[in-house]
Amino acid sequence: MQKVWKIPLLLCLCWLLAGCENYPKDPNDTLAQVTGGTLVVGYSENPPWVTLGPNGHPGGVEADLVRGFAKTIQAQITWKRDTEQNLLEELEEKKLHLVLAGLTDDSPWKSKISFTRPYLEQGKKKHVFGVVMGENAFVTKLEKYLHQKEDSLKTRYGHATPQ
Amino acid sequence: MQPLNSFEYPEELKPAFEKAKRLEWITIFYLISAAALMFFTMGNSQAMKTAWFEDALSLTPSISFLIASRVFHKKPNKDFPYGYHRVVSIAYLCSSLALFAVGAFLIIDSSMTLIKQEHPTIGIAVIFGHEIWLGYVMMAALVYGSVPPVILGHMKLPLAKQLHEKNLFTDAEMNKADWMTGLAAILGIAGIGLGFWWADAVAALIISLDIIKDGFTNLKQAVFDLMDEQPKTVEEQKKDPLLDKIDALLKKQDWVKEHVFRMREEGHVYLGEAYVVPTSDEDLVENLNQLGEEVEDLSWRIEEFVIMPVREIPETTGEK
Repeated sequence: MQKVWKIPLLLCLCWLLAGCENYPKDPNDTLAQVTGGTLVVGYSENPPWVTLGPNGHPGGVEADLVRGFAKTIQAQITWKRDTEQNLLEELEEKKLHLVLAGLTDDSPWKSKISFTRPYLEQGKKKHVFGVVMGENAFVTKLEKYLHQKEDSLKTRYGHATPQ
Repeated sequence: MQPLNSFEYPEELKPAFEKAKRLEWITIFYLISAAALMFFTMGNSQAMKTAWFEDALSLTPSISFLIASRVFHKKPNKDFPYGYHRVVSIAYLCSSLALFAVGAFLIIDSSMTLIKQEHPTIGIAVIFGHEIWLGYVMMAALVYGSVPPVILGHMKLPLAKQLHEKNLFTDAEMNKADWMTGLAAILGIAGIGLGFWWADAVAALIISLDIIKDGFTNLKQAVFDLMDEQPKTVEEQKKDPLLDKIDALLKKQDWVKEHVFRMREEGHVYLGEAYVVPTSDEDLVENLNQLGEEVEDLSWRIEEFVIMPVREIPETTGEK
């Protein structure tokens, strides 16, 4: 029994050494595809997080954040407007990369889809994005970007809901 | 009715018993801390959840041992004329049933994850301002949860054999096997990092198979104990060699023409009776008394041995 266990351990060490450069990886290579490519983002108005601008493009805190993130990976954004329900269903089917709808981490959708770690905490409300499940390189990249923005977001919106 | 002798452990075993109790308290506090750490880091990992369950569960043998240890040494009384020894067997049944049930639950749970193809999402954690992949934090928590129990397990094993304590033995075996659970979960998380979403659920499945195997072996033994199976050694589950010694002792008596005897296990101690066909009635009471004492002196585990003189061996007894 003891010898059998050494084999996966050795394999694991080899993998770890070989895979150090881009770790964690995506099962479906999402990050590689969107970098320099297209980020498909669903949005549903929920002011002030997501608003509908005068020219038909989304605005608000979350849309601005995603534009900033897309810039860091040289990605174009394809916006898709729908109800929160429909968007989250499409996210579950992996048709979208991200969903912006002013979601908080106590959403009942938590068990069906994945959220990012909170980019902003307002008292008990923890604001998150809906994100495609299990694409860990992509999620990690996005969360790192959001973490860099955390301080400035906190000073602007940390205490009260912005109007 | 004369109540049974009240002691559980002889003087020379009392330090070992005290040490076992101390180790179990350490185990409990340690496991709670490990389980808490895992709970806060587990995120979406199925293997981590399974390992957490196992850790929380491995508390049951320790707790049932400590509860039983407050009860089993009580003196027999009018209401419980055979004493409280059997509480140990009941504690053993409880902990093995818990183990078995959770093993079954976890197998279903991780199979569902595989069938539904749920891809676990593991992002980053921010610790003291540093961005770290949460998977690494999980691995660290798993290492904390896996290494010390192995040491505790190794310390408990010899005590369990000495004290003839099955709860403690189960506990020690589970502690010793903990590193396998930890390693499987670490491999699962490492697998997620490499882009194999299924690695985590497969690791969880392996862990749960191990849990259910432990659960089944122990549950079977616990039920057999309560059904008065012949006493077996704690570590190998073989017929206790003490039984052969008793048989040899009975055979040696020149005033005994034929004999049968049977023994059962009540927690740590054995109770039993023998039917003997004496060659003559001369000095019978004296002989019976002396033989009874000799048998009880063979080991501290023989709590009571009743010898019944008969004209003919009754057919209902097992051991000849």
